[in-house]
Amino acid sequence: MPENGKISIRQFTILVMLVTIGDSILILPSISSSFAKQDTWISGIIGLLVGLIAVYIFSALGNLYPKLTLIQAIQKILGKWFGTLVAALFLLFPLITIVTFTREMGDFITTEMMAETPTLAIQILFTCIVIFAVRLGLEVFARTGEIFLPCIILLFLLLVIFLIPQAEFEKLLPILENGIKPVIHGSFSFIAYPFLELVVFLMIFPYINQVRLIRKGFLQGALLGGLVLIILVVISILVLGADETARTIYPSYSLARRISIGLFFERVEAMVALLWMLTIFMKSTFYFYVFNLGLAQLLKLKGYRMLTLPTGFLIIVLSPIISPNITYYNNLLAEYLPYYDVTCYLLFPVFLLVIHFIKNRFKSSPDT
Amino acid sequence: MLSIMGILVIVTVIIAIDVPPLWRKKLKKELWAFSILLLFGTVLGLAQALKLKIPNPLDWVIAVYKPLSDMVDIWLK
Repeated sequence: MPENGKISIRQFTILVMLVTIGDSILILPSISSSFAKQDTWISGIIGLLVGLIAVYIFSALGNLYPKLTLIQAIQKILGKWFGTLVAALFLLFPLITIVTFTREMGDFITTEMMAETPTLAIQILFTCIVIFAVRLGLEVFARTGEIFLPCIILLFLLLVIFLIPQAEFEKLLPILENGIKPVIHGSFSFIAYPFLELVVFLMIFPYINQVRLIRKGFLQGALLGGLVLIILVVISILVLGADETARTIYPSYSLARRISIGLFFERVEAMVALLWMLTIFMKSTFYFYVFNLGLAQLLKLKGYRMLTLPTGFLIIVLSPIISPNITYYNNLLAEYLPYYDVTCYLLFPVFLLVIHFIKNRFKSSPDT
Repeated sequence: MLSIMGILVIVTVIIAIDVPPLWRKKLKKELWAFSILLLFGTVLGLAQALKLKIPNPLDWVIAVYKPLSDMVDIWLK
């Protein structure tokens, strides 16, 4: 067994919430509102509802094999050889996703805060922390999430409360100007990035203390994280307006820049930026952990810790290959990655569930 | 040249950190997995340092989903 730790249901819920917020807090408002304009909050609500259904499907899959991680469950459902092949292909998804996270982190810091630092330097530092956290194990970074949570909530409340004086409710009007279609288009990224990417939590189901409460904790965490994202989208439209939200790459950072209370409480954006640095850190750490754990289980290794440094190196090397420039990357995020996420993270678990039920029917039919 | 040196130094450090404990415990399979991953990373890194053109896997993702994305764009205009 590569992992011996156990986490409580509370830590699990907090992890789900932080991973839901993850990098979405930084990039989602802009992508979603480039389609849905001032109705992005409706997209958000659609996204949350569909996302919760998706989470329910994930937990249904997880509850079939509560003692197995996703990789082992795939091997069990699809048989040894085909299962191993599919599991290996599945591991590519978290790998690509972590590479995009490191890319986002580097792009964010170099475009907004430290313009003269090479992106690579920031990516290397960031990946080093992620590797460090993953080497310490699941229990440790679950507790890290618990410790960071008050800090994250405080920063988020700070951001929202200090911006309320600048909110203009006319910016939400007219509602459904171009009909429902753009709103649905905007909800795609709202479903894909925060919620569908939660499927990797199936990898830690065996390491949670109370099996019965998993579904409840999973749904609660996703709901809380989704609410945070919807509030953020609403506040960015109220303060920045739909056009500016869609035009800026990082609307949450532009929001933080607007904070100004009585001409003395200003320029706090770097402090507020800590909010998404922490959530992106948690999400990348979790994905990196899942990738290493999955690889170790796939190859039946004794532990996953010796894989972390080579995979970390691989991620740093891959990140300039995967997105040559920021325009390419943003276009990818808006137009193509949601569909990729739907295929890998939603259709794939549904496919597994269907195979499982077909198999069971054939198995049980001779007995009856 | 400097970047190649840098990559080699990093690879040496990674080997120095992780290989001795694995070697002592004689974990062969783990050593293999470690070496293949590291070799893959090193080759990619060196190729980048030499400014070779490396195919971007996300270009394939775009190629696969482009018809669907275009269709949705027209449909949800």
